[in-house]
Amino acid sequence: MVRTALGRPGALDRRPKKLARAIPALSVALASLVSLLPIVAEVGWMPDTGFLLLLAWRLLRSDAIPAWWAAPLGLWNDLVLGLPIGFSVAVWTGAMILLDLSDRRTMWRDYWVEWLLAALLLFLAELFRREVDAAMGAPYPFVTILAPLAIAILTFPLAAFVASALDRWRLGR
Amino acid sequence: MAPQQSARPGWSRRAQYGLFFSFLAAIAGLLIGLGLLALSLVAPSAYAGVRGAALDVTAPVRSSLNAVSTTAEGLFSGAGSYWDSARQNARLRRENDALRRQAIQARAILQENKQLKAALALREKSVQSVASGRIVGSSLESERRFAVISAGSGDGVAVGMPVRAAEGLVGRVIDAGATAARVLLVSDRANIVPSRLLRTGQPVIATGRGDGTVDLRPLEVGKNPFRRGDIVVTSGTGGLYAPNVPVAQVIRLDDDGAIAIPMADPAHVSFALVERPFVPAALPQAEPIAGEAER
Repeated sequence: MVRTALGRPGALDRRPKKLARAIPALSVALASLVSLLPIVAEVGWMPDTGFLLLLAWRLLRSDAIPAWWAAPLGLWNDLVLGLPIGFSVAVWTGAMILLDLSDRRTMWRDYWVEWLLAALLLFLAELFRREVDAAMGAPYPFVTILAPLAIAILTFPLAAFVASALDRWRLGR
Repeated sequence: MAPQQSARPGWSRRAQYGLFFSFLAAIAGLLIGLGLLALSLVAPSAYAGVRGAALDVTAPVRSSLNAVSTTAEGLFSGAGSYWDSARQNARLRRENDALRRQAIQARAILQENKQLKAALALREKSVQSVASGRIVGSSLESERRFAVISAGSGDGVAVGMPVRAAEGLVGRVIDAGATAARVLLVSDRANIVPSRLLRTGQPVIATGRGDGTVDLRPLEVGKNPFRRGDIVVTSGTGGLYAPNVPVAQVIRLDDDGAIAIPMADPAHVSFALVERPFVPAALPQAEPIAGEAER
C-alpha cells in the first residue's frame, strides 16, 4: 500500500477526465480532419480516417458513441472532406446499426472477429461509395477500390490502438 | 468484447424508453442521411452554400499546413539540386539556348499571326483572369480527383470557371466558398475536356481516368492518330475552356486512343489562375449535373 505512493506521480488520485463522455466523439471529429493534410494525391489512397476511428470505438465499447451520434459526426465528415452531403451520415449510421445487430448475435468477440467485422463494413462502405460516384457521373471499375480498401483494412489495428489508448487515458486508468 | 449492458434494460421503464428512443434516433439518422444523399444526387447545387462555408472553415488549416509542407519539400528538392550540379548545369544551359531560339521564332510567328488576323478583320476574345490562388489540398481519400485552391467567391470566383496554371489546364471550379474553392481536376472521371491534337489539329476528347492520367479518344474513327510525346491543347469547343491551353502529353497508346499525363501537375503547380469562361453563356451549363457525364 505504501509502495503505491512511490509509483508515478498522481498514481493515487486517478479519475476520469471531465470531458470523458465527449472525448470519443471529439476524437472521431478530429480524425476526419486528418485528410486535410496538404498532399495533392494522384490516386485516392487514404482511408476514411473518421470512419476507421468510429468503427474502432464502436467495436471497443458500445457505450462510447451512441448510435445516433454517428449522424452529426457523419455530416461533419461530409462537410470537411467534400463528399456528397448525406453520404457519410447514411454510411456511418448504417454501420452503427449493423454493429448493434451483430452485438445481439454474438456473445463474445475476439480481436480477429472485430477486424473481420471492420473489414466487412469498410468493404460495404466502398461499394456504396462506388455506386454514388457512378450516379454522380464518375463511373470507375471495381478493381480501383481494392487497393484503398486493402490500405484501410490494414490500418484498422492502428485505429483500434488509438481508440483503446484514448479510452484508457480518458478514464484515468 | 462483452455485449453491452444497456441492451437488456430490465424492468426500468426509463431504461426501456431510453433504449427504444435511441433506436428510433439511429433509424431516423439513417433515413435523414439517405434523404440528404438523394438530394445531393438529384440537385447538387442545393448544397452549394453549405459546402462553400465548410471549405471556408477548413481552408485556414489547409493553408497553414501547406506553408509548412512547401518549406519541407523545398529543403529536400533544394538539396537535390547540388548533386551532380556541373553536369546538370551544362545540360540546362544547352536546353536554355535551344528554348530561347524557339521562343524568338515563336514570337515572330505570333507577330505574323496577329498581322494576318488583323488583315482578315478577325476579332478575338482575350480571356481575363479573375483570381489566382495556390493549390492547398486535394481529395486524398476518394476516387474523385478534387483540389482545393485558396481563392474564393470573395475574389470573384464562381462555380464553373476554368482554372489553369502556367503549365496547362488544371480543371474547373465546382464549389466556391468565400475564401476557398474546390476544383475538379482534369484527371477526374467526370471531367471531359474538348481538345485537339497540336501536331495535326484533329479534334479529340480528353476524359480523366481517376488515377492522375487522362484518356484521349479521337472524334473521327480511323487510324490511331496519336504518337508518344504528342501534346493536346484545348480546342475552345463548348465555350468553357479558352482555346490553345495545353492539357496533356501522350505517354502510351491504347487500342484506339491514348493515355496522357496532364501538363499541369497539381502537386507542383505554383499558382492556379481562375479565368472567366471563354463564352460567358457557358457558365450556367458548366455546373455539375448528376448523370450528365455518363456516355
